[in-house]
Amino acid sequence: MSILFQGRATGATAVKQSLWNRFVMFWVHHIRQAMTSLGEIWLTPASSLLTVAVLGVSLTLPVTLHLMVKNLQQVSSSIDQAAQISLFLKADTNETQIAELIALLQANPEVADVQFIDKGQALAEFTAESGFGDAFSYIEDNPLPHVMLVSPKNTSSVAASALLETLKQERYVELAKLDIGWLERLDAIVSLVRQVAMAVALLLMVAVLLVVGNTIRLMILTKKDEIEVMKLVGATNSYIQRPFLYTGIWLGFFGGILTFLIEEVLLWWLKHAIAGVTQLYDSTFSLQPLSLAELGYLLLVAVGLGFIGSLLAVRRNISQIEATGL
Amino acid sequence: MLRFEQVTKSYSGGFVALDRVSFHLEKGEMAFLTGHSGAGKSTLLKLISLIERPTTGKVFINGVDLSRVNRGQVPYVRRDIGMIFQNHKLLMNHSVFDNVALPLVIEGFSGKDMTKRVHAALDKVGLLDKVRCLPHTLSGGEQQRVGIARAVVNRPPLLLADEPTGNLDPDLSKDIMNVFEAFNQVGVSVLIASHDLSLLARMRYRTLTLKNGRMINDGLTSFGADE
Repeated sequence: MSILFQGRATGATAVKQSLWNRFVMFWVHHIRQAMTSLGEIWLTPASSLLTVAVLGVSLTLPVTLHLMVKNLQQVSSSIDQAAQISLFLKADTNETQIAELIALLQANPEVADVQFIDKGQALAEFTAESGFGDAFSYIEDNPLPHVMLVSPKNTSSVAASALLETLKQERYVELAKLDIGWLERLDAIVSLVRQVAMAVALLLMVAVLLVVGNTIRLMILTKKDEIEVMKLVGATNSYIQRPFLYTGIWLGFFGGILTFLIEEVLLWWLKHAIAGVTQLYDSTFSLQPLSLAELGYLLLVAVGLGFIGSLLAVRRNISQIEATGL
Repeated sequence: MLRFEQVTKSYSGGFVALDRVSFHLEKGEMAFLTGHSGAGKSTLLKLISLIERPTTGKVFINGVDLSRVNRGQVPYVRRDIGMIFQNHKLLMNHSVFDNVALPLVIEGFSGKDMTKRVHAALDKVGLLDKVRCLPHTLSGGEQQRVGIARAVVNRPPLLLADEPTGNLDPDLSKDIMNVFEAFNQVGVSVLIASHDLSLLARMRYRTLTLKNGRMINDGLTSFGADE
């Protein structure tokens, strides 16, 4: 495109090229520029390494918090599986009524399993296990109610609570209980940690943006003369800023890789300590590392931050460098 | 080709660098721009290459009013003007080839086509054997010729030079002027700012003279536009 001279063919458009050829050249050109930027990072190892290290460490904290939330959720959901509703029946319930209730419960699509504990059986068990054996012999009536243990089909705490509410309405039920209080507390803690993780992640992302932006700004300043010359021979701002954007992307990418490595080392280091704790709780808990998809997201976010950080820097600084020439 | 109409350029603080300058450079014409340092030569060249904008008055290139060119279009205007600088403005950590190829790379050239053009430009200034050298290994005259090769590599219709022979000895100056003459002979309009009066006297081209920002002689009376 020539503004001054109509019809003056300029640039590569002057050479006739097929659409496919241009498409290929577009990518070849971009890959070449990406590689050039990579080479420039290689040429200034000290400052690039520092920037990558800052990115890696900054991103490690939110990733660690994310892993913590993920593993806590795993713990709470594995306990959720065991959720059972205890139905304490009214004292005057007779056997036909009990049979009726069992049939009713078994017909309920929300219920997976019903287990009936007779009050006589319960008393015998309690007498045997509690150590109050002799004391019970002084009581004339069995004070315990009949109990039904209902396992819900959907074991999430929300669905189980809903089932609890319906079962409470049953005619022979005195009291229905679902012991999810502490589960709810755990859920609340997990969601608190998740919120904290989000806040910390946001703050650290801003820090990453600033660090990348500052690194790119310094690179632009050291190349001020070169940029001036390029402007004098007719380079557009977008042409000049492209290598810096690629540099930002590379910095983000390496920062992401470093985060992953730090995270792996951290997990390896903590594995034994965590195993010690879970053994005490006789749990089958196993520590979940970053999945492949999560690694993908991490790299995507890191590269995105590198790109945006450098974009902010080039937008501000490259248009400010004016050709003073002559 | 290049026309100034009552162009005034004043800087903040009230310094008037150019005062109502008018002249017209024909297509395919070669002319010198002279005057003491501070007379406004550099300012005049900056107005053509859109490094500065005039305070009042208008600059036309090929009939296009430069005041209508917006910021985003400036790079495209510069691609139509070959510029040669007194201090060469080369990229010191890139080879001669990369320096000369720069305008082509910016315009999206690559591969054989680019190499061919770069070699042709370096051949014209007699530096084909230095293609792989770094600029700082070259002499001042050679660096200047690399700058010229870069200015002409995408065959612009207008060539501007600011003190191209600034610190060269007379023989080298003559060589460089010969290069400009060669381009002029194939139809390129050339405007050379220089205070080397002896050189101007030898060359006998139209000479525009600035003094304290005013055009005191546009050369038409002494030499004639078609020379």
